[in-house]
Amino acid sequence: MSREHVIGDLSDFPPGAHRVVKVGRREIGVFNIGGKLYGLPNVCPHQTGPLCEGKPPLGTLVARSENDWKFEWVDEGEVVVCPWHGLEYHVPTGRCLAYPNITLRSYEVFVEDGEVKVRL
Amino acid sequence: MAEAATAKRERKEKLEDILVVDCDVHVHESPEALIPYCEMPWRKALETIKDVKEFYLDIPGFSPGTTVYEAKFPSGQEATRMVHSASQMREELDEIHVDIGVLFPDHFLKIPVISQVDYASALARAYNAWLLAEWCSPENGLLGCILACPQDPVGAAHEIEKYSDEKGMVGVFLPCAGLERLWGHRQYDPIYEAAQEADLPVLMHSVTVIHPVFPFNTQGFETEFGRHICSHTFSMMANIVHMMTTGVPVRYPDLRVAVTEAGISWVPFLMHKMDKEYIERRREVPFLEDKPSTYLKKMYFATQPVEEPENLSDLVTMMELYDGEDNTIFASDWPHHDFDHPSKVHQIPFTSEVRRKVFGENALRLFNIDAGGNRLRVR
Repeated sequence: MSREHVIGDLSDFPPGAHRVVKVGRREIGVFNIGGKLYGLPNVCPHQTGPLCEGKPPLGTLVARSENDWKFEWVDEGEVVVCPWHGLEYHVPTGRCLAYPNITLRSYEVFVEDGEVKVRL
Repeated sequence: MAEAATAKRERKEKLEDILVVDCDVHVHESPEALIPYCEMPWRKALETIKDVKEFYLDIPGFSPGTTVYEAKFPSGQEATRMVHSASQMREELDEIHVDIGVLFPDHFLKIPVISQVDYASALARAYNAWLLAEWCSPENGLLGCILACPQDPVGAAHEIEKYSDEKGMVGVFLPCAGLERLWGHRQYDPIYEAAQEADLPVLMHSVTVIHPVFPFNTQGFETEFGRHICSHTFSMMANIVHMMTTGVPVRYPDLRVAVTEAGISWVPFLMHKMDKEYIERRREVPFLEDKPSTYLKKMYFATQPVEEPENLSDLVTMMELYDGEDNTIFASDWPHHDFDHPSKVHQIPFTSEVRRKVFGENALRLFNIDAGGNRLRVR
C-alpha cells in the first residue's frame, strides 16, 4: 500500500483553508497557511478531542522578557485550538504551547501534478 | 483499590460496557423558557429581559457574571456550548457513553447573588417546574435536582416536599456561588430536614462570580485562571467546614451530601486539616461524636474537573487517602468548557471493581436509584 495518498486538488485547499481529511482510519487536519500546506492528527492528546475540527487557526498571546513581559499577539493564523478544552498548537511545528515536551507528529502534505497528497 | 498494579492484568472493561452515571450535566434555562412557569409579578421581569443579548451564562437581571472584567481575544475553543432540550442532551450524552445524567442549571448556579429574595425564590420555583416538565425522565436517563433557593430556606423546603415523590427528581441542588451564609448555617435546617425526609441527597455546586463573600472576593485576581481555581474548590471546602461546624452530618444522620465540580485532590487535605483542628477545638463543635474525617468520608465527591497528574496512578493514591472507593462519583460537567470526557477517568488504573463503582454504582447509592434511573424509595 502506497504511503502517499491523494486528498484532493490544490483548489480544495486555498490559502487560509483548513479541512479534516480521512486517510484509511486516520483523520488528518490539513492547513494552508500562507501558501504552505501542513498536516496534523485530528486528535488532541489531552482528552482525544477533535483538534482540527474547530475554528481556523488564529493568533495567540505570549509574554517575553525581551519585550519587558508585555502581552503580545503573535503567530496570527498559525495556532489551532482544540475545541474541547482550548489546548493550543502551533500548526507549522506541531508544538503544544502549554507543554514544551509535547509536539504533535506532522504529516507531510505536498502538491504533485495539481493534486494534494499526504505522506504517511 | 490498593491493587492498582493488578488492574493491568485484568481485562479492562470498555467504557460502553460500564454503567455510567454522570452526576453533573447542565441544562440551559433562558428567561424566555421560564416565562410560562413563573408567577407574577416576576414573570413580567422575565418578559422584560427575554430579548437581552446573552453573554455566556451572563444576563443582567438574571445571572450577573464576569464578562465585563476582561479583554476578549478570539479563541478556537468552543467554550460556550449549551444544551437547550432534553433530546439534545440525550443525544450528546449518548455520544460520550453516559447512561444516566443528573441535571443542574446553567445560569442559576449563580442564583445566590440575586439580591431580591422574592425574585430569587420565584425563579427557583419556575426552574423546578420547568425542569420536571421538560427535562426529567427516568426512561430517558435524565434526572433532576430540585434547586434550593438559599435566600428562602423555608420556601426551598416546601419545594423539596412538593417534588419529593416525583420519579424524575433525585436530589437537591445547593448553589454555592456568592452564597451569603455558608451551607452550614442553621437557617438552612429546614432544607436538610426536608431532604432527609424525602430521601433525597443534597449536592453542592459552585461557579465563578465576583462577590464580597468568601471565597468569591476574587477581585484581586487579574483573570479567570485564579478566580476559577478558587471559586469552585475553596467554596466546597468552606461549606463543608461550616456544615461540620454546625454538626449537619450528626444532626441529619441519614442525609446524603455530595460535592460537584471541585475535583478530588483537596479532599485528603481538608480531612487532615479538620482532624487536626478537632483535637484542640472539639468543644467548639460539640455536635461531633467522632473526628471530622469520619463524617467527611460519608460524603460523595464528583471527579470533574478530574486532576490530570502525569502519573494517573497518583489519582488512585489520592482516593485511597480518603477511602474514596465507595464515595467517588463520576461527573463530566457536559457541556461546559472544562467538561471531562469519561475516557479520561477510564484511563485511571483502577481495578475493574473500583472502576464500576466510580462510574456508576456509587452514584446509584447516592441517589438511591436502580440502574434504570428509578428511585427505590418513593413514598
